Amino acid sequence: MKVLLMGHPNVGKSVVFNRLTGANVIISNYPGTTVDYTKGYMKVKGKDFTVIDVPGTFSLEAKDKAEEVAVKMLEEEKDAVVICVVDSSKIERGLYLTLEIIERGYPVILALNMWDIAQDKSIHIDAEKLENILGIPVIPTIAINGKGIKDLVSKIKDATPVETDKILEKVGGKE
Amino acid sequence: MKLTVDERWDLIEKISKETVIFGVYKHTVKDAIGELTVKPLTGIPIAFAVLYGFWSFFGSFAGFFTDGFFVKLFDEHWLPWLQDVFPGGLGNWFYAIMVDAGHMENGILVASDNCFESFGVLTSGFFLAIGVVLPAIIAFYLILTLLEDTGYMPRLAVLIDTVLHKIGLHGFAIVPTILSLGCNVPAVTASRILETKKQRFIMMTLLAIFIPCGAQLGIMEEVIPDTIGFVLLYLFTGYFILGFILHKVLPGKSPEILIDVPPYQMPMLRDVAMKLWMRVKGFFKIAIPFVLLGCIIVNILYLANIIDWLANVLSPVLSGWFGVPKETVGPLIAAFLRKDLAVAQLSAIEMTKYQMITSVVLVSIYFPCVATFMMLLKEGWKDLLGSIAVLALVVFLYGGLLHLIWILLGVA
Amino acid sequence: MEKKLSEMIYDEEGIVKRIEGGLRERIAGMGIRVGKKVKMITKHPMKGPVVVVVDEARTSLGLSIAEKIIVEVKK
Ligand SMILES: Nc1nc2c(ncn2[C@@H]2O[C@H](COP(=O)(O)OP(=O)(O)OP(=O)(O)O)[C@@H](O)[C@H]2O)c(=O)[nH]1
Ligand SMILES: [Mg+2]
Repeated sequence: MKVLLMGHPNVGKSVVFNRLTGANVIISNYPGTTVDYTKGYMKVKGKDFTVIDVPGTFSLEAKDKAEEVAVKMLEEEKDAVVICVVDSSKIERGLYLTLEIIERGYPVILALNMWDIAQDKSIHIDAEKLENILGIPVIPTIAINGKGIKDLVSKIKDATPVETDKILEKVGGKE
Repeated sequence: MKLTVDERWDLIEKISKETVIFGVYKHTVKDAIGELTVKPLTGIPIAFAVLYGFWSFFGSFAGFFTDGFFVKLFDEHWLPWLQDVFPGGLGNWFYAIMVDAGHMENGILVASDNCFESFGVLTSGFFLAIGVVLPAIIAFYLILTLLEDTGYMPRLAVLIDTVLHKIGLHGFAIVPTILSLGCNVPAVTASRILETKKQRFIMMTLLAIFIPCGAQLGIMEEVIPDTIGFVLLYLFTGYFILGFILHKVLPGKSPEILIDVPPYQMPMLRDVAMKLWMRVKGFFKIAIPFVLLGCIIVNILYLANIIDWLANVLSPVLSGWFGVPKETVGPLIAAFLRKDLAVAQLSAIEMTKYQMITSVVLVSIYFPCVATFMMLLKEGWKDLLGSIAVLALVVFLYGGLLHLIWILLGVA
Repeated sequence: MEKKLSEMIYDEEGIVKRIEGGLRERIAGMGIRVGKKVKMITKHPMKGPVVVVVDEARTSLGLSIAEKIIVEVKK
């Protein structure tokens, strides 16, 4: 089975990737570090997973070639599970991409990465409630020290596609 | 079901209202530094200081290890020892390739007394790769990694945006450019962060022609410490002139900068060490085989008299148009494989300071090394053909211009 | 009062009113959207870029991009 790591640039996808696969892809504190995809492997309870670190993208409307690589990757891997990595301190815009991917019918897991930074900025996210509304697994993570990564792995199997309508209903429908 | 941009934001707002509480944000010292380094009045002087510090560290770190340690090790111990024990001896072809080709003095073949002149795979090859280039590469990537991991790069991008905008790029093009000063290969791929085909073409062409890599910079620091400043100035000027021209003549759009400026962050020792290790390792995988292969090929071409023949054939162009000794043909061939090797070989050729500057500039601009070439090919052969056409013109004109400058100054 | 994002002065705050042209899609994921509060951090001279804060995230925009974003400022 394939697992795609998608998310905005500079949210920690590559750190998560290194954690999951034991690889050593380059990590930097600027957007656009990863411009090509990297494949890695992990084994969970005897099952083999291919994990793919994808370049960061702000939305599924690619604006440069690195983003094109990301969008193409998503389109090619029709039956992949997507781990959507977001920067918890910028949760709203992170949800934008997450929704776009959910709308396309992919099973998604939401990793609320940089949880530590959100706390420093006194941003409190109710992960359980978010999980409930979105209908997908939502896991707070701090990729740089590995917090939440185990949880993330164990939830991969729980990801299922969600209808946007369901999400809309939960928050009171379209106006 | 797919939502429109506004519907999606609307939904997010609702979700956020139910699940997120935004507390009061306290500004920190990091934010203050963040602002100081991105505002023009304070940011630009700081940027100059940072880049100057970068360059000084690069020079002194590399110099410390190369001059203080490796030169002695290789010239006083390694070379004499090999000259002693390696089978064959001066005049033997295999000995010439591996250890020392020697050189003619008053009609007699004499042994070399340093690793720049010996040209052997085991002597020059290893000396260059380990004694000169390795310290340079480590120094370069150490600083680069710090700049990257703290989060300084995007701020540099904002500060330089106005300038790069004039050549059809935008501030973020500083990332491939600086990466390129380490090695052109990853820099070519990094050009993907630019939005349009036009921008990527300009970027890749400029990188391939004008930006010397870390290995080459290291060798230049070693063999032309007095004139390296001028060489770099000439190259960077070329970068802007060509960029400006390409921007004017090429069709297509040049969108403006649109990037996130992340908060500063303390680099983590483990990450820095790991990245440094990965990059040095990556460099070695590309560099060592080509440096050694380069030594072998050039030696064989010398021994087979092909270099002499080529030198005579190309003499009108080399000495006539560019004003450099025809013997530079050897290094120019080596430059296909490795620019560092080429510059090192130049240093063994007798010529004036000015000819040396021209030859080093020529070696830098005249063709991307084979590893870069393959990478450009991977990004698209049509663009590569275009880049090479531009390159040929630039080498001829910009290389010739330097000769003209020397003539006008009366030093040619 | 309405003005372009590019015309805001240092430290000024405003609320995004409109985003013109195809820019909306392009910056959709970056958090800049109608109704959001933006604050000017710095403007670079000679048609240089601007840096703004949106949701405590700093974003740098080229001048011609900033010109397409209309904000409502106090007074
Ligand atoms: N404080 C904190 N920093 C993190 C966390 N995860 C990642 N980082 C840092 O965030 C920066 C970006 O990490 P990357 O993994 O390179 O980000 P990316 O998503 O792969 O970025 P692109 O490749 O540019 O798309 C690095 O400097 C990391 O050290 C986290 O949970 N907490
Ligand atoms: Mg990455």
